[in-house]
Amino acid sequence: MHLRYDDDFVEAAAFMCASGRRHGATALQVRRFHSDRETCYAQSDVDERNAAFFKVHLAWFREWGLEHLLTGFMGEYPLLPGALKVLAFRQARGRNEEGAELYVSTGKVRNAMVALRMDRLERDAPLLRFLRHEFMHLHDMVDPAFGYSPQVHLPTHNQTQQRITRERYRLLWDITIDGRLTQAGRETMAGHGQHQAIFERAFSFWPEEKRRHVFESHWSDAQPAHLELLALAADPRDLSHAQEPLPGGSCPLCHFPTFEWVSVGGLAPDSLASIRAHFPHWTPDQGACKRCAEMYEVAGKFELPATMVV
Amino acid sequence: MSNVFNWQLGREMDFPYDAAYPDQQFAFIFNLNRCIGCQSCTMACKSTWTFSKGQEAMWWNNVETKPYGGYPHHWDVKTLDLLEKANPGGQTWSGTPKDLKAPYGEFKGKTIFEAAKTNISPEGAQKALGYLPTDEEWAAPNRYEDNPTGSEKSQRGQMSFTSGEVSAQHKTWFFYLARICNHCSYPACLAACPRNAGYKRPEDGIVLVDQERCRGYRKCMEACPYKKTFYRSTTRTSEKCIGCFPRVEGRDQASGGLPMQTRCMSACVGHIRLQGLVQLNKDGTWKEDRQNPLYYLIHVAKVALPLYPQFGTEPNGYYIPPRWVPRPYLRQMFGPGVDAAIERYSVPDRELLAVLQLFGKDQRICFRYEIKKGPKVFETQIRGRKFEMFDDTIIGYSKDGTKIVETKIEEPFHIRPDKHANSI
Repeated sequence: MHLRYDDDFVEAAAFMCASGRRHGATALQVRRFHSDRETCYAQSDVDERNAAFFKVHLAWFREWGLEHLLTGFMGEYPLLPGALKVLAFRQARGRNEEGAELYVSTGKVRNAMVALRMDRLERDAPLLRFLRHEFMHLHDMVDPAFGYSPQVHLPTHNQTQQRITRERYRLLWDITIDGRLTQAGRETMAGHGQHQAIFERAFSFWPEEKRRHVFESHWSDAQPAHLELLALAADPRDLSHAQEPLPGGSCPLCHFPTFEWVSVGGLAPDSLASIRAHFPHWTPDQGACKRCAEMYEVAGKFELPATMVV
Repeated sequence: MSNVFNWQLGREMDFPYDAAYPDQQFAFIFNLNRCIGCQSCTMACKSTWTFSKGQEAMWWNNVETKPYGGYPHHWDVKTLDLLEKANPGGQTWSGTPKDLKAPYGEFKGKTIFEAAKTNISPEGAQKALGYLPTDEEWAAPNRYEDNPTGSEKSQRGQMSFTSGEVSAQHKTWFFYLARICNHCSYPACLAACPRNAGYKRPEDGIVLVDQERCRGYRKCMEACPYKKTFYRSTTRTSEKCIGCFPRVEGRDQASGGLPMQTRCMSACVGHIRLQGLVQLNKDGTWKEDRQNPLYYLIHVAKVALPLYPQFGTEPNGYYIPPRWVPRPYLRQMFGPGVDAAIERYSVPDRELLAVLQLFGKDQRICFRYEIKKGPKVFETQIRGRKFEMFDDTIIGYSKDGTKIVETKIEEPFHIRPDKHANSI
């Protein structure tokens, strides 16, 4: 596994040490650092100058122990060195940009990028909490036992459902990660209580006993799996196995929750054909809400092409 | 450290260099009562000077919504906080105002230069107390745009000032604060530069960064309390507002050789800005120049006040404070002259009303004005005080005596001739 750094990242990190925002640099080192930098300005070619700056910044990045800090605990993630071709670090401009991403090329080459805000480098403990959490994400993604796939939604889901599924999936995954880190005696980004509070809000439709049981089982799950997490995130009420439409369930056509299911057996053949034209996967036993049934019934009477219904 | 005299503080103070003053000083006044936050100034500057690669987060001119907005985020709160920590409870003013030498009384607290001595890093002791903003703080230049705060109903009580509102019906407030480099008389950016790359032009006091000398230490960014120097990642040097010096020198073709106001001043649609050049005495105080509009507004009418004078850099940007904002907030921002300034501005006398007409009337710099008296056209009471309006004419002159502006107090009233009726 090769380590790569964005040039903005090493420059900002080196300056953080030189300015004293991160402790450890001596006055003599800082003078040498600036002296090394000053020589780079003599390069007139822009590319050569940028390369020279990168070399100086990287040297001091290593001198001040930042590379060791970022990767010194890699032994805790035994799969990563063999699974990744490149592990890269870059600067994040805000919290939303932070995190780890896995990139898989067509030749199945796997590279990872970790983005972090520079102020995380000010102190070791918060930085290590963040990195351990993100590295665990990467470790899961390359672990065959976890079975990760970037697909975190069901094909029948609409955009809103996909977003909710993704958020629930992220929450469940974070719980298993911090649970495992806690069991390994590591400090975590969020503790048991914080995770539980978020979990309670996200799955508030469950009975209290079930919420507690599911949370604890994930917190103590030593070997989580992608498909299990996805199944729970995508269909926490287990509605996909229901044989008939349930009160309050989503209409398979408009996806709005409904308490007014109708029997589609009474619809005219033209109306049923229109529905099938729009929803090829739909079967009459899935039912439809009263509003959709009405719409397709009316549309059928006007002899309009099916594409004009919606 | 040397001892220099800072007239805005009414006392001598420490500064890393000996006092040296230009022949004349670039200075400007922004009337915050008129700013509508349209960002015309911002874009005029951006499209003139900072449109290139590496300058994306560089806004030499910006307009921020106070109290929450700021670029970089919370720049003023952070510096005020550093000063408060360095001198807990001691950042106070006292004494009585004394003309040119101490128009706002005397500042008893510590400036950023005086408070810096104890702030030591591996790079040595700071020359000026400050901090280097993070990249995150340089993002989103117009954050919190138009976000008001409650004057009395603030839930957290942070802004729950209870006095100062002129209108009882205004229970929430915000205002637009337009900012450029203040081209300070004691620039912290210049003081902090380990390469002596910052310098003040002797001909007009504009503060520049020598791009040949700068080696990207970013100490200027750390030291400037107004955070008006910027790092350019493509050249790895610091850049800042250059006061549109080619225009000030009269080298813009449109000026006909006469000194011209900067791009941001000229582009202001709200006519909130007036920029000029003022004469200085040997000790850095302003030479009496009664008919210079800046001298009049700052030292005679005293309606325009420096931004955060307590920082100690003697900024040359002055502001007519917004009337509707709670006074404690304004006193912190503009010093103890706020109450008198607002009182005078709210009920302007004959001369003040005339001089205020000069804002934004012409791109060329006005060095002198004269007023031709006209008839009284209006009279009323403003909060118990008599206000009279005269239709005077004010005439502004350039450096060489060329008449550049002539305008009346009353707006001209044009009547369209009958022959054009319904001609549209």
